[in-house]
Amino acid sequence: MRASFVFSEVITGLRRNITMTIAMILTTAISLGLLGGGLLIVRTIGKMQANFLSALQVEVNLDDAVSAGDPNCTQSICAGLRADLTNYPGVVSVQFQNRNQTFAKAKAEFSNDPEMEQLVRPEAFPASLLVSLQNPTQSGVISAAFASKAGVRDVDDQGVFVQKLTDLLNGVRNATFLIALIQALAALMLISNTIQVSAFTRRTEVGIMRLVGATRWYTQLPFLLEAVVAGVVGAVLAVGGLVVAKVAFLDNIFGSVFSSTIIPKIGLLDIASVSPWLLLAAVGISALTGYVTLRLYVRL
Amino acid sequence: MGDTGTTHGVKVDSPLVIRLEHVSKTYKSSTRPALDNVSVDMDKGEFVFLIGPSGSGKSTFLRLLLREEVPSKGRVYVSNFDVAKMARRRVPRLRQSIGCVFQDFRLLATKTVAENVAFALEVIGKPRHTIRKVVPEVLQLVGLDGKADRMPNELSGGEQQRVAIARAFVNRPLVLIADEPTGNLDPDTSQDIMLLLERINRTGTTVVMATHDHSIVDSMRRRVVELSLGKVVRDDARGVYGVGR
Ligand SMILES: Nc1ncnc2c1ncn2[C@@H]1O[C@H](COP(=O)(O)OP(=O)(O)O)[C@@H](O)[C@H]1O
Ligand SMILES: [Mg+2]
Repeated sequence: MRASFVFSEVITGLRRNITMTIAMILTTAISLGLLGGGLLIVRTIGKMQANFLSALQVEVNLDDAVSAGDPNCTQSICAGLRADLTNYPGVVSVQFQNRNQTFAKAKAEFSNDPEMEQLVRPEAFPASLLVSLQNPTQSGVISAAFASKAGVRDVDDQGVFVQKLTDLLNGVRNATFLIALIQALAALMLISNTIQVSAFTRRTEVGIMRLVGATRWYTQLPFLLEAVVAGVVGAVLAVGGLVVAKVAFLDNIFGSVFSSTIIPKIGLLDIASVSPWLLLAAVGISALTGYVTLRLYVRL
Repeated sequence: MGDTGTTHGVKVDSPLVIRLEHVSKTYKSSTRPALDNVSVDMDKGEFVFLIGPSGSGKSTFLRLLLREEVPSKGRVYVSNFDVAKMARRRVPRLRQSIGCVFQDFRLLATKTVAENVAFALEVIGKPRHTIRKVVPEVLQLVGLDGKADRMPNELSGGEQQRVAIARAFVNRPLVLIADEPTGNLDPDTSQDIMLLLERINRTGTTVVMATHDHSIVDSMRRRVVELSLGKVVRDDARGVYGVGR
Protein backbone atom coordinates (compact mmCIF):
# COMPACT_ATOMS: atom_id res chain seq x y z
CA MET A 1 0.00 0.00 0.00
CA ARG A 2 1.47 3.29 -1.09
CA ALA A 3 0.61 5.71 1.71
CA SER A 4 1.59 8.86 -0.15
CA PHE A 5 -0.62 7.89 -3.06
CA VAL A 6 -3.66 7.23 -0.89
CA PHE A 7 -3.02 10.41 1.08
CA SER A 8 -2.86 12.63 -2.00
CA GLU A 9 -6.04 11.00 -3.31
CA VAL A 10 -7.79 11.83 -0.04
CA ILE A 11 -6.68 15.47 -0.04
CA THR A 12 -7.68 15.88 -3.69
CA GLY A 13 -11.05 14.33 -2.96
CA LEU A 14 -11.76 16.57 0.00
CA ARG A 15 -10.72 19.69 -1.87
CA ARG A 16 -12.74 18.86 -4.94
CA ASN A 17 -15.94 18.91 -2.90
CA ILE A 18 -14.90 21.71 -0.61
CA THR A 19 -18.37 23.08 0.27
CA MET A 20 -19.68 19.60 0.90
CA THR A 21 -16.62 18.79 2.96
CA ILE A 22 -17.14 21.87 5.11
CA ALA A 23 -20.82 21.07 5.61
CA MET A 24 -19.89 17.51 6.56
CA ILE A 25 -17.22 18.65 9.01
CA LEU A 26 -19.43 21.30 10.64
CA THR A 27 -22.39 18.98 11.05
CA THR A 28 -20.15 16.31 12.50
CA ALA A 29 -18.55 18.87 14.82
CA ILE A 30 -21.90 20.13 16.11
CA SER A 31 -23.13 16.62 16.65
CA LEU A 32 -19.98 15.61 18.48
CA GLY A 33 -19.96 18.88 20.45
CA LEU A 34 -23.45 18.13 21.70
CA LEU A 35 -22.49 14.56 22.46
CA GLY A 36 -19.52 15.90 24.41
CA GLY A 37 -21.79 18.35 26.24
CA GLY A 38 -24.07 15.47 27.19
CA LEU A 39 -21.14 13.43 28.41
CA LEU A 40 -19.91 16.38 30.48
CA ILE A 41 -23.33 16.67 32.09
CA VAL A 42 -23.22 12.96 32.90
CA ARG A 43 -19.86 13.50 34.57
CA THR A 44 -21.14 16.52 36.44
CA ILE A 45 -24.13 14.63 37.76
CA GLY A 46 -21.86 11.82 38.85
CA LYS A 47 -19.49 14.16 40.63
CA MET A 48 -22.31 16.08 42.24
CA GLN A 49 -23.82 12.93 43.63
CA ALA A 50 -20.45 11.68 44.78
CA ASN A 51 -19.45 14.95 46.45
CA PHE A 52 -22.69 15.97 47.94
CA LEU A 53 -24.99 13.07 48.42
CA SER A 54 -22.49 10.75 50.03
CA ALA A 55 -21.96 13.24 52.84
CA LEU A 56 -25.64 14.02 53.01
CA GLN A 57 -27.62 13.09 56.07
CA VAL A 58 -31.33 13.32 56.51
CA GLU A 59 -32.11 15.38 59.59
CA VAL A 60 -35.15 14.17 61.47
CA ASN A 61 -35.87 17.20 63.70
CA LEU A 62 -37.67 16.50 66.94
CA ASP A 63 -40.42 18.67 68.31
CA ASP A 64 -40.02 21.19 71.13
CA ALA A 65 -41.19 18.89 73.91
CA VAL A 66 -38.69 16.18 73.05
CA SER A 67 -35.90 18.68 72.28
CA ALA A 68 -36.34 20.32 75.64
CA GLY A 69 -37.05 17.27 77.79
CA ASP A 70 -34.79 14.50 76.50
CA PRO A 71 -31.21 15.71 76.03
CA ASN A 72 -29.78 12.18 75.80
CA CYS A 73 -32.51 10.41 73.78
CA THR A 74 -33.27 8.00 76.52
CA GLN A 75 -37.04 8.50 76.81
CA SER A 76 -39.48 6.39 74.90
CA ILE A 77 -40.42 8.73 72.01
CA CYS A 78 -36.87 9.60 71.04
CA ALA A 79 -35.43 6.15 71.71
CA GLY A 80 -38.32 4.57 69.78
CA LEU A 81 -37.71 6.84 66.79
CA ARG A 82 -34.02 6.09 66.93
CA ALA A 83 -34.66 2.35 66.98
CA ASP A 84 -37.20 2.55 64.14
CA LEU A 85 -34.78 4.58 62.05
CA THR A 86 -31.88 2.27 62.76
CA ASN A 87 -33.91 -0.75 61.67
CA TYR A 88 -35.33 1.00 58.59
CA PRO A 89 -34.17 -0.61 55.33
CA GLY A 90 -31.30 1.25 53.67
CA VAL A 91 -30.29 3.14 56.80
CA VAL A 92 -26.59 2.88 57.60
CA SER A 93 -26.44 4.75 60.88
CA VAL A 94 -28.42 7.07 63.12
CA GLN A 95 -26.78 9.67 65.29
CA PHE A 96 -28.50 11.74 67.96
CA GLN A 97 -27.70 15.41 68.33
CA ASN A 98 -29.34 17.37 71.12
CA ARG A 99 -30.47 20.97 71.09
CA ASN A 100 -27.19 22.31 72.44
CA GLN A 101 -25.12 20.43 69.92
CA THR A 102 -27.31 21.74 67.09
CA PHE A 103 -26.93 25.22 68.52
CA ALA A 104 -23.14 24.88 68.71
CA LYS A 105 -23.00 23.83 65.06
CA ALA A 106 -25.16 26.75 64.01
CA LYS A 107 -23.07 29.16 66.00
CA ALA A 108 -19.98 27.89 64.29
CA GLU A 109 -21.65 28.49 60.91
CA PHE A 110 -22.50 32.04 61.91
CA SER A 111 -19.06 32.76 63.30
CA ASN A 112 -18.31 35.30 60.61
CA ASP A 113 -21.60 37.02 61.13
CA PRO A 114 -21.46 38.37 64.72
CA GLU A 115 -24.92 39.97 64.68
CA MET A 116 -26.55 36.66 63.88
CA GLU A 117 -24.33 34.95 66.39
CA GLN A 118 -25.69 37.31 69.04
CA LEU A 119 -29.27 36.66 68.05
CA VAL A 120 -29.38 32.90 68.10
CA ARG A 121 -30.57 31.10 71.18
CA PRO A 122 -30.39 27.36 71.92
CA GLU A 123 -34.20 27.29 72.34
CA ALA A 124 -34.64 28.06 68.64
CA PHE A 125 -32.96 24.81 67.64
CA PRO A 126 -34.38 21.31 67.68
CA ALA A 127 -32.67 18.13 68.71
CA SER A 128 -32.16 15.91 65.67
CA LEU A 129 -31.61 12.35 64.61
CA LEU A 130 -29.04 12.41 61.81
CA VAL A 131 -29.65 9.54 59.42
CA SER A 132 -27.04 8.28 56.97
CA LEU A 133 -28.42 6.28 54.06
CA GLN A 134 -26.91 3.63 51.85
CA ASN A 135 -28.41 5.39 48.86
CA PRO A 136 -28.68 9.09 49.65
CA THR A 137 -31.06 9.72 46.78
CA GLN A 138 -33.67 7.76 48.69
CA SER A 139 -33.99 10.32 51.45
CA GLY A 140 -37.55 10.98 50.39
CA VAL A 141 -38.59 7.61 51.80
CA ILE A 142 -37.44 8.57 55.29
CA SER A 143 -39.21 11.83 55.01
CA ALA A 144 -42.45 10.12 53.99
CA ALA A 145 -42.24 7.49 56.71
CA PHE A 146 -41.24 9.68 59.65
CA ALA A 147 -42.43 13.25 59.06
CA SER A 148 -45.79 12.69 60.74
CA LYS A 149 -44.69 10.45 63.60
CA ALA A 150 -45.16 11.53 67.16
CA GLY A 151 -42.27 13.68 68.43
CA VAL A 152 -41.10 14.68 64.95
CA ARG A 153 -41.26 18.36 64.05
CA ASP A 154 -40.12 17.97 60.45
CA VAL A 155 -37.65 16.12 58.28
CA ASP A 156 -35.01 18.28 56.75
CA ASP A 157 -34.26 16.56 53.51
CA GLN A 158 -31.60 18.25 51.39
CA GLY A 159 -31.58 15.13 49.24
CA VAL A 160 -34.83 16.34 47.71
CA PHE A 161 -33.09 19.45 46.48
CA VAL A 162 -30.16 17.55 45.08
CA GLN A 163 -32.57 15.07 43.51
CA LYS A 164 -34.43 17.91 41.82
CA LEU A 165 -31.16 19.29 40.54
CA THR A 166 -30.16 15.85 39.31
CA ASP A 167 -33.51 15.47 37.55
CA LEU A 168 -33.06 18.84 35.91
CA LEU A 169 -29.57 18.01 34.74
CA ASN A 170 -30.75 14.61 33.54
CA GLY A 171 -33.40 16.38 31.50
CA VAL A 172 -30.86 18.74 30.00
CA ARG A 173 -28.61 15.77 29.30
CA ASN A 174 -31.38 13.84 27.54
CA ALA A 175 -32.32 16.84 25.43
CA THR A 176 -28.66 17.33 24.53
CA PHE A 177 -28.27 13.70 23.55
CA LEU A 178 -31.44 13.87 21.50
CA ILE A 179 -30.25 16.89 19.54
CA ALA A 180 -26.85 15.24 19.21
CA LEU A 181 -28.56 12.18 17.77
CA ILE A 182 -30.55 14.21 15.26
CA GLN A 183 -27.41 16.06 14.27
CA ALA A 184 -25.60 12.74 14.01
CA LEU A 185 -28.26 11.54 11.56
CA ALA A 186 -27.72 14.67 9.50
CA ALA A 187 -23.97 14.12 9.66
CA LEU A 188 -24.43 10.51 8.63
CA MET A 189 -26.46 11.43 5.58
CA LEU A 190 -23.99 14.14 4.64
CA ILE A 191 -21.08 11.73 4.93
CA SER A 192 -22.91 9.15 2.85
CA ASN A 193 -23.85 11.75 0.27
CA THR A 194 -20.36 13.19 0.10
CA ILE A 195 -18.90 9.77 -0.53
CA GLN A 196 -21.39 9.11 -3.28
CA VAL A 197 -20.66 12.44 -4.93
CA SER A 198 -16.97 11.85 -4.49
CA ALA A 199 -17.21 8.40 -6.04
CA PHE A 200 -19.21 9.85 -8.92
CA THR A 201 -16.71 12.64 -9.56
CA ARG A 202 -13.95 10.09 -9.59
CA ARG A 203 -15.73 7.39 -11.56
CA THR A 204 -13.17 7.53 -14.40
CA GLU A 205 -10.32 7.06 -11.97
CA VAL A 206 -12.10 4.29 -10.12
CA GLY A 207 -13.04 2.64 -13.40
CA ILE A 208 -9.40 2.59 -14.44
CA MET A 209 -8.32 1.34 -11.04
CA ARG A 210 -10.70 -1.59 -11.29
CA LEU A 211 -9.63 -2.33 -14.81
CA VAL A 212 -5.92 -2.48 -14.07
CA GLY A 213 -6.58 -4.76 -11.13
CA ALA A 214 -6.52 -2.56 -8.06
CA THR A 215 -8.01 -4.37 -5.12
CA ARG A 216 -11.34 -3.32 -3.71
CA TRP A 217 -9.53 -2.20 -0.58
CA TYR A 218 -7.26 0.07 -2.62
CA THR A 219 -10.09 1.64 -4.60
CA GLN A 220 -12.26 2.22 -1.56
CA LEU A 221 -9.73 3.31 1.00
CA PRO A 222 -9.46 6.89 -0.28
CA PHE A 223 -13.22 7.37 0.04
CA LEU A 224 -13.28 5.78 3.46
CA LEU A 225 -10.38 7.92 4.62
CA GLU A 226 -12.06 11.04 3.27
CA ALA A 227 -14.97 10.37 5.58
CA VAL A 228 -12.71 9.51 8.50
CA VAL A 229 -10.50 12.59 8.02
CA ALA A 230 -13.59 14.80 7.93
CA GLY A 231 -14.84 13.02 11.07
CA VAL A 232 -11.57 13.57 12.91
CA VAL A 233 -11.45 17.24 11.93
CA GLY A 234 -15.05 17.48 13.16
CA ALA A 235 -14.06 15.91 16.46
CA VAL A 236 -11.16 18.32 16.91
CA LEU A 237 -13.48 21.26 16.20
CA ALA A 238 -16.00 19.84 18.66
CA VAL A 239 -13.41 19.64 21.43
CA GLY A 240 -12.28 23.17 20.63
CA GLY A 241 -15.91 24.25 20.76
CA LEU A 242 -16.37 22.69 24.19
CA VAL A 243 -13.30 24.50 25.54
CA VAL A 244 -14.55 27.80 24.13
CA ALA A 245 -18.02 27.16 25.56
CA LYS A 246 -16.51 26.42 28.96
CA VAL A 247 -14.29 29.51 29.07
CA ALA A 248 -16.74 31.91 27.48
CA PHE A 249 -20.07 30.84 28.98
CA LEU A 250 -20.04 28.19 31.67
CA ASP A 251 -17.29 29.74 33.79
CA ASN A 252 -19.18 33.04 33.83
CA ILE A 253 -22.60 31.61 34.56
CA PHE A 254 -21.53 29.11 37.17
CA GLY A 255 -18.86 31.42 38.54
CA SER A 256 -21.39 34.04 39.56
CA VAL A 257 -24.73 32.35 40.08
CA PHE A 258 -23.65 29.03 41.49
CA SER A 259 -20.90 30.01 43.80
CA SER A 260 -22.05 27.15 46.00
CA THR A 261 -20.27 23.87 45.60
CA ILE A 262 -23.35 21.81 44.80
CA ILE A 263 -22.72 21.78 41.03
CA PRO A 264 -19.07 20.98 40.48
CA LYS A 265 -17.33 23.15 37.93
CA ILE A 266 -16.53 21.63 34.55
CA GLY A 267 -12.76 21.68 34.19
CA LEU A 268 -10.47 21.35 31.21
CA LEU A 269 -9.61 17.95 32.58
CA ASP A 270 -13.24 16.89 32.19
CA ILE A 271 -13.20 18.01 28.56
CA ALA A 272 -9.91 16.22 28.04
CA SER A 273 -11.37 13.02 29.39
CA VAL A 274 -14.44 13.07 27.12
CA SER A 275 -12.47 14.00 23.96
CA PRO A 276 -11.12 10.49 23.28
CA TRP A 277 -14.71 9.27 23.22
CA LEU A 278 -15.66 11.99 20.77
CA LEU A 279 -12.73 11.06 18.56
CA LEU A 280 -13.65 7.40 18.78
CA ALA A 281 -17.28 8.17 17.95
CA ALA A 282 -16.15 10.32 15.00
CA VAL A 283 -13.86 7.67 13.56
CA GLY A 284 -16.31 4.85 14.22
CA ILE A 285 -19.34 6.58 12.76
CA SER A 286 -17.59 7.99 9.69
CA ALA A 287 -15.80 4.73 8.90
CA LEU A 288 -18.97 2.70 9.33
CA THR A 289 -21.06 5.12 7.27
CA GLY A 290 -18.37 5.15 4.62
CA TYR A 291 -18.15 1.40 4.52
CA VAL A 292 -21.91 0.87 4.33
CA THR A 293 -22.26 3.55 1.66
CA LEU A 294 -19.54 2.00 -0.47
CA ARG A 295 -21.11 -1.43 -0.08
CA LEU A 296 -24.68 -0.43 -0.79
CA TYR A 297 -24.66 2.63 -3.01
CA VAL A 298 -21.41 2.79 -4.88
CA ARG A 299 -20.50 0.23 -7.48
CA LEU A 300 -16.75 0.23 -7.39
CA MET B 1 -1.44 -20.74 -34.03
CA GLY B 2 -4.89 -22.11 -33.36
CA ASP B 3 -6.35 -22.92 -36.74
CA THR B 4 -9.83 -23.71 -35.56
CA GLY B 5 -11.92 -22.15 -32.89
CA THR B 6 -13.42 -25.43 -31.80
CA THR B 7 -10.30 -27.40 -30.92
CA HIS B 8 -10.49 -28.30 -27.26
CA GLY B 9 -7.29 -30.19 -26.65
CA VAL B 10 -4.54 -28.24 -24.94
CA LYS B 11 -1.65 -27.86 -27.32
CA VAL B 12 1.75 -28.67 -26.00
CA ASP B 13 3.86 -26.41 -28.19
CA SER B 14 1.66 -23.31 -27.89
CA PRO B 15 -0.11 -23.09 -24.53
CA LEU B 16 -3.64 -21.82 -24.35
CA VAL B 17 -4.15 -18.40 -22.87
CA ILE B 18 -7.84 -17.91 -23.52
CA ARG B 19 -10.54 -20.51 -23.75
CA LEU B 20 -14.29 -20.11 -23.97
CA GLU B 21 -16.34 -23.30 -23.64
CA HIS B 22 -19.93 -23.13 -24.85
CA VAL B 23 -20.34 -19.65 -23.48
CA SER B 24 -23.69 -17.93 -23.62
CA LYS B 25 -24.48 -14.56 -22.16
CA THR B 26 -27.95 -13.12 -21.89
CA TYR B 27 -28.26 -9.71 -20.27
CA LYS B 28 -31.04 -9.31 -17.76
CA SER B 29 -32.78 -6.63 -19.78
CA SER B 30 -32.89 -8.50 -23.06
CA THR B 31 -34.25 -11.75 -24.43
CA ARG B 32 -31.78 -12.35 -27.28
CA PRO B 33 -28.44 -13.66 -26.01
CA ALA B 34 -25.49 -11.31 -26.61
CA LEU B 35 -23.32 -14.41 -26.97
CA ASP B 36 -24.76 -17.75 -28.01
CA ASN B 37 -22.84 -20.97 -27.36
CA VAL B 38 -19.41 -19.54 -28.19
CA SER B 39 -16.35 -21.82 -28.01
CA VAL B 40 -13.00 -20.27 -28.90
CA ASP B 41 -9.38 -21.00 -27.95
CA MET B 42 -6.55 -18.50 -28.25
CA ASP B 43 -2.90 -19.32 -27.81
CA LYS B 44 -0.09 -17.42 -26.23
CA GLY B 45 1.33 -14.86 -28.62
CA GLU B 46 -1.63 -14.87 -31.02
CA PHE B 47 -3.06 -11.74 -32.60
CA VAL B 48 -6.81 -12.18 -32.98
CA PHE B 49 -9.34 -9.87 -34.59
CA LEU B 50 -12.85 -10.11 -33.26
CA ILE B 51 -15.10 -8.76 -35.96
CA GLY B 52 -18.78 -8.39 -36.63
CA PRO B 53 -21.36 -5.68 -36.92
CA SER B 54 -22.36 -3.46 -34.06
CA GLY B 55 -24.30 -5.45 -31.47
CA SER B 56 -22.85 -8.79 -32.52
CA GLY B 57 -21.31 -9.37 -29.09
CA LYS B 58 -17.66 -8.31 -29.45
CA SER B 59 -17.56 -6.11 -26.36
CA THR B 60 -19.47 -8.70 -24.36
CA PHE B 61 -16.83 -11.27 -25.35
CA LEU B 62 -14.06 -9.00 -24.06
CA ARG B 63 -15.92 -8.10 -20.87
CA LEU B 64 -16.28 -11.78 -20.07
CA LEU B 65 -12.49 -12.18 -20.24
CA LEU B 66 -12.12 -9.34 -17.73
CA ARG B 67 -14.93 -10.63 -15.58
CA GLU B 68 -16.76 -7.38 -16.01
CA GLU B 69 -19.58 -9.79 -16.78
CA VAL B 70 -20.14 -13.43 -15.92
CA PRO B 71 -21.49 -15.87 -18.52
CA SER B 72 -25.01 -17.19 -18.19
CA LYS B 73 -23.73 -20.57 -19.39
CA GLY B 74 -20.37 -22.12 -20.15
CA ARG B 75 -16.87 -21.53 -18.86
CA VAL B 76 -14.20 -18.91 -19.46
CA TYR B 77 -10.50 -19.45 -18.84
CA VAL B 78 -7.75 -16.86 -19.03
CA SER B 79 -4.26 -18.20 -18.32
CA ASN B 80 -4.93 -20.42 -15.31
CA PHE B 81 -7.90 -18.42 -14.04
CA ASP B 82 -11.33 -20.02 -14.14
CA VAL B 83 -12.80 -16.61 -14.78
CA ALA B 84 -16.49 -17.25 -14.27
CA LYS B 85 -16.04 -19.28 -11.12
CA MET B 86 -13.21 -17.50 -9.36
CA ALA B 87 -13.75 -15.72 -6.06
CA ARG B 88 -14.39 -12.01 -6.29
CA ARG B 89 -11.35 -11.12 -4.26
CA ARG B 90 -9.08 -12.82 -6.82
CA VAL B 91 -10.46 -10.79 -9.74
CA PRO B 92 -7.79 -8.05 -9.30
CA ARG B 93 -5.08 -10.69 -9.97
CA LEU B 94 -6.81 -11.66 -13.20
CA ARG B 95 -7.09 -8.05 -14.29
CA GLN B 96 -3.45 -7.39 -13.50
CA SER B 97 -2.57 -9.94 -16.15
CA ILE B 98 -4.78 -8.31 -18.78
CA GLY B 99 -4.19 -4.90 -20.34
CA CYS B 100 -7.13 -2.92 -21.77
CA VAL B 101 -7.48 -0.27 -24.45
CA PHE B 102 -10.72 1.36 -25.55
CA GLN B 103 -12.06 3.56 -28.28
CA ASP B 104 -12.38 6.50 -25.89
CA PHE B 105 -8.82 6.27 -24.46
CA ARG B 106 -10.01 6.77 -20.83
CA LEU B 107 -7.11 8.93 -19.72
CA LEU B 108 -7.20 11.03 -16.56
CA ALA B 109 -7.39 14.64 -17.71
CA THR B 110 -5.75 15.98 -14.55
CA LYS B 111 -2.63 13.84 -14.82
CA THR B 112 0.30 14.09 -17.20
CA VAL B 113 1.19 11.37 -19.68
CA ALA B 114 3.74 9.84 -17.32
CA GLU B 115 1.37 10.11 -14.34
CA ASN B 116 -1.39 8.41 -16.29
CA VAL B 117 0.87 5.47 -16.97
CA ALA B 118 2.28 5.44 -13.44
CA PHE B 119 -1.25 5.46 -12.04
CA ALA B 120 -1.84 1.93 -13.28
CA LEU B 121 1.13 0.74 -11.25
CA GLU B 122 0.51 2.90 -8.18
CA VAL B 123 -2.96 1.54 -7.65
CA ILE B 124 -1.76 -2.03 -7.66
CA GLY B 125 0.86 -1.15 -5.09
CA LYS B 126 4.06 -1.33 -7.16
CA PRO B 127 7.07 0.18 -5.44
CA ARG B 128 8.10 3.67 -6.47
CA HIS B 129 11.54 2.73 -7.76
CA THR B 130 9.98 0.20 -10.12
CA ILE B 131 7.55 2.81 -11.39
CA ARG B 132 10.32 5.33 -11.96
CA LYS B 133 12.18 2.79 -14.04
CA VAL B 134 9.47 1.20 -16.17
CA VAL B 135 7.33 4.23 -17.04
CA PRO B 136 10.01 5.94 -19.21
CA GLU B 137 10.77 2.57 -20.81
CA VAL B 138 7.21 1.97 -21.88
CA LEU B 139 6.79 5.58 -23.06
CA GLN B 140 9.77 5.06 -25.27
CA LEU B 141 8.31 1.81 -26.59
CA VAL B 142 5.10 3.58 -27.67
CA GLY B 143 7.03 6.51 -29.11
CA LEU B 144 6.11 9.15 -26.54
CA ASP B 145 9.42 9.61 -24.75
CA GLY B 146 9.49 13.37 -25.39
CA LYS B 147 5.96 13.92 -24.14
CA ALA B 148 6.00 12.50 -20.63
CA ASP B 149 5.00 15.80 -19.03
CA ARG B 150 2.24 16.76 -21.45
CA MET B 151 -1.38 16.76 -20.39
CA PRO B 152 -3.77 14.53 -22.36
CA ASN B 153 -5.60 17.51 -23.88
CA GLU B 154 -2.32 18.67 -25.41
CA LEU B 155 -2.05 15.46 -27.44
CA SER B 156 -3.55 14.27 -30.70
CA GLY B 157 -6.01 11.37 -30.67
CA GLY B 158 -3.33 8.98 -31.85
CA GLU B 159 -0.94 10.11 -29.15
CA GLN B 160 -3.65 9.75 -26.51
CA GLN B 161 -4.27 6.20 -27.65
CA ARG B 162 -0.54 5.55 -27.36
CA VAL B 163 -0.67 6.69 -23.75
CA ALA B 164 -3.57 4.32 -23.16
CA ILE B 165 -1.60 1.48 -24.75
CA ALA B 166 1.45 2.34 -22.64
CA ARG B 167 -0.74 2.20 -19.54
CA ALA B 168 -2.23 -1.13 -20.61
CA PHE B 169 1.16 -2.61 -21.34
CA VAL B 170 3.32 -1.16 -18.56
CA ASN B 171 2.62 -4.08 -16.22
CA ARG B 172 3.59 -6.53 -19.00
CA PRO B 173 0.25 -8.30 -19.24
CA LEU B 174 -0.22 -11.75 -20.70
CA VAL B 175 -3.14 -10.53 -22.79
CA LEU B 176 -3.88 -7.13 -24.30
CA ILE B 177 -7.53 -6.48 -25.01
CA ALA B 178 -8.42 -3.67 -27.41
CA ASP B 179 -12.06 -2.76 -28.00
CA GLU B 180 -12.22 -0.76 -31.23
CA PRO B 181 -8.99 1.10 -30.42
CA THR B 182 -8.98 2.83 -33.81
CA GLY B 183 -12.66 3.75 -33.74
CA ASN B 184 -11.92 7.43 -33.09
CA LEU B 185 -8.84 7.73 -35.29
CA ASP B 186 -8.21 8.60 -38.92
CA PRO B 187 -6.84 5.84 -41.20
CA ASP B 188 -3.19 6.93 -41.07
CA THR B 189 -3.14 7.20 -37.31
CA SER B 190 -4.96 3.87 -37.11
CA GLN B 191 -2.16 2.27 -39.10
CA ASP B 192 0.39 3.63 -36.60
CA ILE B 193 -1.58 2.22 -33.71
CA MET B 194 -1.78 -1.16 -35.45
CA LEU B 195 1.99 -1.16 -35.90
CA LEU B 196 2.35 -0.49 -32.20
CA LEU B 197 -0.05 -3.31 -31.29
CA GLU B 198 1.91 -5.61 -33.58
CA ARG B 199 5.10 -4.65 -31.80
CA ILE B 200 3.52 -5.45 -28.48
CA ASN B 201 2.28 -8.73 -29.89
CA ARG B 202 5.86 -9.61 -30.93
CA THR B 203 6.91 -9.44 -27.26
CA GLY B 204 4.75 -12.54 -26.76
CA THR B 205 1.65 -10.75 -25.53
CA THR B 206 -1.61 -12.16 -26.87
CA VAL B 207 -3.62 -9.37 -28.49
CA VAL B 208 -7.39 -9.59 -28.89
CA MET B 209 -8.83 -6.69 -30.80
CA ALA B 210 -12.47 -6.02 -31.55
CA THR B 211 -13.00 -3.91 -34.64
CA HIS B 212 -15.20 -3.38 -37.66
CA ASP B 213 -12.51 -1.58 -39.63
CA HIS B 214 -12.22 -3.59 -42.89
CA SER B 215 -8.98 -2.11 -44.14
CA ILE B 216 -7.09 -2.83 -40.93
CA VAL B 217 -8.19 -6.45 -40.79
CA ASP B 218 -7.49 -6.93 -44.45
CA SER B 219 -4.01 -5.42 -44.30
CA MET B 220 -2.89 -7.37 -41.23
CA ARG B 221 -3.83 -10.88 -42.34
CA ARG B 222 -4.14 -12.28 -38.86
CA ARG B 223 -6.58 -14.65 -37.26
CA VAL B 224 -10.16 -13.47 -37.59
CA VAL B 225 -13.05 -14.61 -35.40
CA GLU B 226 -16.32 -13.29 -36.71
CA LEU B 227 -19.40 -12.92 -34.59
CA SER B 228 -22.93 -12.48 -35.84
CA LEU B 229 -25.85 -12.12 -33.47
CA GLY B 230 -23.68 -13.60 -30.73
CA LYS B 231 -22.60 -16.69 -32.67
CA VAL B 232 -19.13 -17.47 -34.05
CA VAL B 233 -19.78 -17.68 -37.78
CA ARG B 234 -16.17 -17.77 -38.96
CA ASP B 235 -12.72 -18.43 -37.53
CA ASP B 236 -9.90 -17.99 -40.09
CA ALA B 237 -6.23 -18.32 -39.24
CA ARG B 238 -5.29 -15.63 -41.80
CA GLY B 239 -8.48 -13.84 -42.51
CA VAL B 240 -9.82 -10.78 -44.21
CA TYR B 241 -12.84 -8.81 -43.08
CA GLY B 242 -15.05 -10.73 -45.43
CA VAL B 243 -16.44 -10.75 -48.91
CA GLY B 244 -19.44 -8.74 -49.95
CA ARG B 245 -19.09 -6.15 -47.18
N1 LIG C 1 -25.05 -3.99 -20.23
C1 LIG C 1 -25.92 -4.47 -21.15
N2 LIG C 1 -27.18 -4.68 -20.79
C2 LIG C 1 -28.07 -5.17 -21.67
N3 LIG C 1 -27.78 -5.49 -22.95
C3 LIG C 1 -26.52 -5.29 -23.36
C4 LIG C 1 -25.52 -4.77 -22.47
N4 LIG C 1 -24.36 -4.67 -23.16
C5 LIG C 1 -24.63 -5.12 -24.39
N5 LIG C 1 -25.92 -5.48 -24.54
C6 LIG C 1 -26.54 -6.05 -25.72
O1 LIG C 1 -25.82 -7.19 -26.08
C7 LIG C 1 -25.64 -7.26 -27.49
C8 LIG C 1 -24.16 -7.32 -27.80
O2 LIG C 1 -23.58 -6.06 -27.45
P1 LIG C 1 -22.03 -5.79 -27.52
O3 LIG C 1 -21.33 -6.91 -26.88
O4 LIG C 1 -21.77 -4.45 -27.00
O5 LIG C 1 -21.76 -5.83 -29.08
P2 LIG C 1 -20.64 -5.12 -29.95
O6 LIG C 1 -19.52 -4.74 -29.06
O7 LIG C 1 -20.27 -6.14 -30.96
O8 LIG C 1 -21.28 -3.93 -30.58
C9 LIG C 1 -26.35 -6.05 -28.04
O9 LIG C 1 -27.64 -6.45 -28.48
C10 LIG C 1 -26.45 -5.11 -26.91
O10 LIG C 1 -27.60 -4.33 -26.99
MG1 LIG D 1 -18.64 -2.85 -28.72
